[in-house]
Amino acid sequence: MDALIHGLASLFDLHLLLLIFCATIGGVIIGALPGLNATTGAALLLPFTLTMEPVPAIATMTAIYCSATFAGAITAILINTPGTAASATTCLDGYPLAQQGQAGRALGMAVVASTFGGIFSVICLMLAAPLLARAAYHFSPPEYFALTLFGLSMLASIGDGSAIKNLIAGVFGILIAMIGVDNLTTVERFTFGSYHLYEGIGFVPVMIGVFGISELLVQSEKLHLRREAIRMKSVELPDRRDYRDSWRAILRSSGIGTFIGILPAEGATVASMIGYNEAKRWSRNPELFGKGAIEGVAGSEAANNAATGGAMVPTLALGIPGSATAAVILAGLMVHGLQPGPNMFTEQADFAYAIFWSMMLVNLLFFFVGLRGARIFARVTLIPVEVLWPVVFVFSIVGAYALDQSMFDVWVALVSGVIGYFMRRYGFSVVPLAIGLILGGMLEQRLGQSMVMLDEKWWLMFTRPLTLLFLVLTALALFGPAVWGRLVKRRAPLDSTGE
Amino acid sequence: MWRLSLPHRMYPAHTPVFGPAALPARFDSMTPPTEKPKLLGQCERWLIPVLILTFCGATFWVSTTFKKMPPILKRGIQPSDFPQLLLLLLVFLTLLMVWKDPVRVRDRLMGSTVGTIALFAGFAALTSIDFFLALAVFATVLALFWGERRAPILVLVGLLVPAAIFFTFDQVFEIRFPRGLLTSLWYG
Repeated sequence: MDALIHGLASLFDLHLLLLIFCATIGGVIIGALPGLNATTGAALLLPFTLTMEPVPAIATMTAIYCSATFAGAITAILINTPGTAASATTCLDGYPLAQQGQAGRALGMAVVASTFGGIFSVICLMLAAPLLARAAYHFSPPEYFALTLFGLSMLASIGDGSAIKNLIAGVFGILIAMIGVDNLTTVERFTFGSYHLYEGIGFVPVMIGVFGISELLVQSEKLHLRREAIRMKSVELPDRRDYRDSWRAILRSSGIGTFIGILPAEGATVASMIGYNEAKRWSRNPELFGKGAIEGVAGSEAANNAATGGAMVPTLALGIPGSATAAVILAGLMVHGLQPGPNMFTEQADFAYAIFWSMMLVNLLFFFVGLRGARIFARVTLIPVEVLWPVVFVFSIVGAYALDQSMFDVWVALVSGVIGYFMRRYGFSVVPLAIGLILGGMLEQRLGQSMVMLDEKWWLMFTRPLTLLFLVLTALALFGPAVWGRLVKRRAPLDSTGE
Repeated sequence: MWRLSLPHRMYPAHTPVFGPAALPARFDSMTPPTEKPKLLGQCERWLIPVLILTFCGATFWVSTTFKKMPPILKRGIQPSDFPQLLLLLLVFLTLLMVWKDPVRVRDRLMGSTVGTIALFAGFAALTSIDFFLALAVFATVLALFWGERRAPILVLVGLLVPAAIFFTFDQVFEIRFPRGLLTSLWYG
């Protein structure tokens, strides 16, 4: 309880409040800009936070995360292009509403649903994270190893690649984490005699490369596209009928989004898809979905913003990122010398609660920013790519350099960007690569510690109930979808013949 | 507004693809394409798996050269054990990908993308003269290459933004950039 109050008290600092306000506006702009999203925004911002204290630094990144996730709805509704992938389902009903002259109403509902979903998930985060951390406090290295493995196995189902390709990208990321001096034995690995590689490849330049520079190359394929926004007078708050139609969808999607967010590696995109589908399934007017149902906007937006708080639960309590942006925030925590995990809630409880409160504040802030500023931010979406992306490149390169003031990091960012682009081109998502890079070292360290603890008898891991549970969950995450798909396929012909 | 009299962009004129003139929805690159991509030929199908398997072979060989620790110091596993385990997993997953989910691409590599990657090389070469000169030249040339012709915008992108970033990092974050033709003038 003390930590809860201390965390809140630490927010009453004018400098910090101003920073959070600016980051919220920055996040809304990032979310509204074509090609930029919360993950890229957080990765680009990370080097700028290096000179800050941990609370302002991480609060700034979470502000970008929450507000950029909301801002995707602005472009989704006004130009039929989701500013972030998590808003893809918002297009389905938001844009038809805008075409019917109700853009302000759709944006108003998006603001309300996003705010409710965000606040709901932060409350869940405040309750669940310390409980999860308390449970994890008694974990030994084998449990941690199995848990990290479970987090990595969830990579199979994220991003825009297939399950196999996501796993390949994830393993590639873990392999990159092996570069440098081995922490357990101090043996050099894959350094090729270069002193630049002794400490390994940094998270930050790789993230700037795979999220920022690779997106620049993706944008180079879209130069002939032109965006046109639907005109809108102002954002309107939903009326009583809208609330009556949508409150169930908002509540349901907030729960779904928070739960999906808590699952390691699953993020706002999956949450919004499920939130939208469930809103349609339980709606009294499912036939309106896709033609301008206000419930569709509410279901999608409440879910994707609820996932932000949910994703921070495993990130802070276990050190396993709940989403791609949470992975960047996790990297930010590590760069600032903080070790996420159960100890955070005993040794740095004030810090953890300050972050929770800052997320709550951001969710309240973007309610007003969204209502007042959506019209202005809608104009930002029309900045031409040929102006925006050279500027993003300058930011990316300077950001990559700034971390260690090393030109080597600039080359790492550039090469990662080109590799990231080709990965995306051939159907591999870059998100698993980033998460693999962050968790790779941790995974090996925990395997090594487990082997020491179990006297090199690895099979003893299966005798520990919690380790076994996580290993079973890992197997389910990896093979469950394939087995389930095969079962469904086998049953389908039987059903069609009526047997 | 004053414009540079350079040849017009190498790409087709702007066509409305998003917005009122365009339905159905086109999502951004994070969203899977709606149409099923086609195989562009056997070469495309095999190139990536062959590259990955070659990478695995070479990396595995490198991992065999790692120093072996005596049992008392190895702390559970040898330094080469975990990377080798990962490489074997990568080989298995690559073979599974060839069988179950071959690499597909929608379009051939576009000239604008190849040109942008070539500009990266130009940027890398220019950094040996001056880091910020390279950034300014790259930003200007990229904007020009992508079709921007308005001189004030080019000045903004190529001069004002890099200068603002330089002074912000130098004065606010106290970060020293590598010395070069321009930065030496500032640092003295």
